[in-house]
Amino acid sequence: MKQKGRKIARCFVFLFGLLCMLLLLSRLFVPKNNRKEFGMQDVQANGILGEPENTIEVLVIGDSLAYSGLVPMALWEQYGIPSYVCCTKAQQLPYSASLLQQALRTQKPKVVLLEANAIYRKITGIEFLVNVSRDSLPVLNYHDRWKSLNVNDLSGRVEYTWTDDGKGYLFNKKSRPAEKKNYMVPTEETEKIAWLNERYVSYIAKLCEKNGAELMLYSTPSAKCWNYKRHNGIQELADRLSVPYLDMNLLSDEVAIDWTKDTRDYGDHMNYSGAKKVTQYLGSYLKAHYELSDCRDSERYAKWNDCLARWKRKVEK
Amino acid sequence: MEQLIEILEEINPEVDYETCDDLVDGHYLTSLMIISLIAGIEDEFDVTVPTVEIVPENFNSAEAIWALIQRLMEE
Amino acid sequence: MYSYCSVVFLGVFLPLTVALYQALPQKGRRVVLLAASYVFFWILSGKLLLYLLFSTLSVHHIGLWLSLLANERDAALQGVERSERKAIKQQYLHKQRMVMGFAVVLHIGILVAVKYTAFFGWNLNNLFEVLHLPLRLSTVKILAPIGISFYTLQALSYLFDVYRGSVPADRNLFRLALFLSFFPQIMEGPICRYSDTAQALWECPSVSYRSLTFGAQRILYGVMKKVVVADRLNAFIKPVFADYAQYDGGVIALAAVGYTCQLYMEFSGTMDIVIGAAEIFGIRLPENFRQPFFSKSISEFWKRWHITLGTWFRDYIFYPVTLSKPLKKLTTWGRKRLGNHFGPLLAGAVALFCVWFSNGIWHGAGWNYIFFGIYHFVLILLGNVFEPFVHKTYEKLRLRRNGAVCTGLRILKTGVLVCIGELFFRAPELGIGMKMFGRMVGSFSLSSFKSGKIFEMGMDRQDFIIVGVTVAIVFLFGVLKERGVQIRQRTAEKPTVLRWALYYALILFVIVFGAYGPGYIPVDPIYANF
Repeated sequence: MKQKGRKIARCFVFLFGLLCMLLLLSRLFVPKNNRKEFGMQDVQANGILGEPENTIEVLVIGDSLAYSGLVPMALWEQYGIPSYVCCTKAQQLPYSASLLQQALRTQKPKVVLLEANAIYRKITGIEFLVNVSRDSLPVLNYHDRWKSLNVNDLSGRVEYTWTDDGKGYLFNKKSRPAEKKNYMVPTEETEKIAWLNERYVSYIAKLCEKNGAELMLYSTPSAKCWNYKRHNGIQELADRLSVPYLDMNLLSDEVAIDWTKDTRDYGDHMNYSGAKKVTQYLGSYLKAHYELSDCRDSERYAKWNDCLARWKRKVEK
Repeated sequence: MEQLIEILEEINPEVDYETCDDLVDGHYLTSLMIISLIAGIEDEFDVTVPTVEIVPENFNSAEAIWALIQRLMEE
Repeated sequence: MYSYCSVVFLGVFLPLTVALYQALPQKGRRVVLLAASYVFFWILSGKLLLYLLFSTLSVHHIGLWLSLLANERDAALQGVERSERKAIKQQYLHKQRMVMGFAVVLHIGILVAVKYTAFFGWNLNNLFEVLHLPLRLSTVKILAPIGISFYTLQALSYLFDVYRGSVPADRNLFRLALFLSFFPQIMEGPICRYSDTAQALWECPSVSYRSLTFGAQRILYGVMKKVVVADRLNAFIKPVFADYAQYDGGVIALAAVGYTCQLYMEFSGTMDIVIGAAEIFGIRLPENFRQPFFSKSISEFWKRWHITLGTWFRDYIFYPVTLSKPLKKLTTWGRKRLGNHFGPLLAGAVALFCVWFSNGIWHGAGWNYIFFGIYHFVLILLGNVFEPFVHKTYEKLRLRRNGAVCTGLRILKTGVLVCIGELFFRAPELGIGMKMFGRMVGSFSLSSFKSGKIFEMGMDRQDFIIVGVTVAIVFLFGVLKERGVQIRQRTAEKPTVLRWALYYALILFVIVFGAYGPGYIPVDPIYANF
């Protein structure tokens, strides 16, 4: 029995040693800056790491619907709200939570927006594992950087200097009309939200509460992804968590989306002109419901105005 | 036994059948040679070798083959 | 969990099963193994589990039927004159043959139905078109349960063994079910024999420190082969085979070698994981590979590559066919007329053709697979036909066939022939395989290598280096194994510090240099689709 115990103990010591080594290697492999050349993944969303501390007031998390459908620079130009879109392709809620957590380390947003389409995304085992590795053992996620390791990596010091002029928005002017326009047919039915997904949303809500931010769910118009059953499902969830929910799919008068012009891929994502309409409405909504300051004249945000100038040159080209 | 050794030598003369005990496992007898060997045994000893008996253990040495033949003759 | 080399299998499924297994007494362990096997199959194939259930039930039943006939025969033979015995035996043999024939038709029938109907339909339609017949079959693709090619062969081997009387029919349905469905090997083999594993599985020995660590080491070695080499090579091989016309002959040749390497690393790596996983439970599965690239001839290669498939074909097709009555007559006739070398070759050729045709088509419904089989048939037959001449030539030239230089050249020749075979095997269809081969030989050039363009085709310089290093490690282990060194045993005898350093080094090597994560698409388990 004693022998057996010792052998089991040996196994654990071995695994513990392995864990220590992985943690050490993680320091070596983690990108030392948030640019692509440094091996950073999802640079657009991670551009927030380069923003000065406590400058972002509105933070957005969610999938591609969100980064295609909200233009932070337009929000800045019209309302003076500094915002950032921490969204990635097919983002699942564990990653949303991680990105939020990461942002909260340096930022104190007043409002956190969660695009509701991510709530209906199935959380896969593999994504869950990838997310754990991103958070705790980055070597598993960034191991491929062995090709470009240098002396700088040995020090383990991290310094983020880069930020995205689009503030996470993916600029796209293409236009491909949607076929289905009347996709919001009222119904009493609801699409069920998976148990794990609801746990994650409520975890995100708690994170916001703890950090003095207000969570709000919203839906970007999407003829392909959204329907009334989903609207009902999210509305019920929002009620359960007592957070507001804004579904712009229902606001065809206020957000006058022209489905022949405002979508880049047949009604799935907004293009630039659609996104501007969404941003305009969302900005006025945020202004009306939250105490957000107009930072356009503030000294601290001088760089945002430079950025806007660059941005305008880019999108008007 | 001598008849058997004769057949074996005809098939592959390079082996010392008195001592070798890994004819199959040592790849001295290929499967085609075994077919030839079986045809020879069946002619010489008037027996039929069923497929179930074709396993390495029965063909690894001249002695084993001889034992097999005797078993088949008794049946 | 679509492959044994997935985090879900190695990190969740296997450890949970091992823990549950170890926590229970023997009877409970059987339940755990059987349940885990069925859960595994269900996760991969869903409702198609019914196929496995049906196969198991029918195999159990037919086995008992065969043994009942054997018992009846033995009873009938009691106290009967020798002269009458033959007639009785013949009578029962006939009955047993009918049962066995029914079993073969049933199981091969299911296999053919799920795997080959689309292929037959497609070919028939082509034929109709050539003949200008106004007939078209609608081709349906039936979903095949995972591993059907493997467990069908395993089931048939059991029935053949019962039929021949070399194993008794199993009365215990659950033991048989576990033998057929044991989860590490259900997807890609090795194809086990009833006498090898059924009883061992049923005994359910305890997991010991030794079995756990040895099993884990073997798994680690397999993961290394698969994740570092096979998956990394994918980025280079896939585009070349998808659009060969863009590449010159040199690149195609490298892709053929690369694919052979990938196939070996993928399949033998998976076998390491499978055998290692079984080893944790204290079960020794038969080996499927024995350093095949040290082979001096194609026929030796097939004794070292996918061994359990080769022995299956040998025991259940090659010998039965050559020893069938008409072919036996042919052999006897041939021996008298053509001598001991060429005589048996006639029957041998027929049997070899059956083996290699089956081998080719077993790998999949496609003319490229059939060609792959025939290619090896021709090579092996030629090898046998010319053996005496080759032998004489060596003697005349006074070359030592087993000398270092000759052996090296023969190994190289075998390797080249194998790579050419695998080129056709991997090609999307036979016609493309032919064109690729033509291009490889016809427009062979090393310009891509000289200009460094080769490093822009999916794998950069560093990728090639890491593949090279890992292949060298595997080669080194191969040399040691060829010399009969028990590597894991030898390491176990070393001091802890050294041993752990080695394990840590291997694990970290896999973690850092593995081709997984963003930017990599792992190669699908190649053999699971056969």
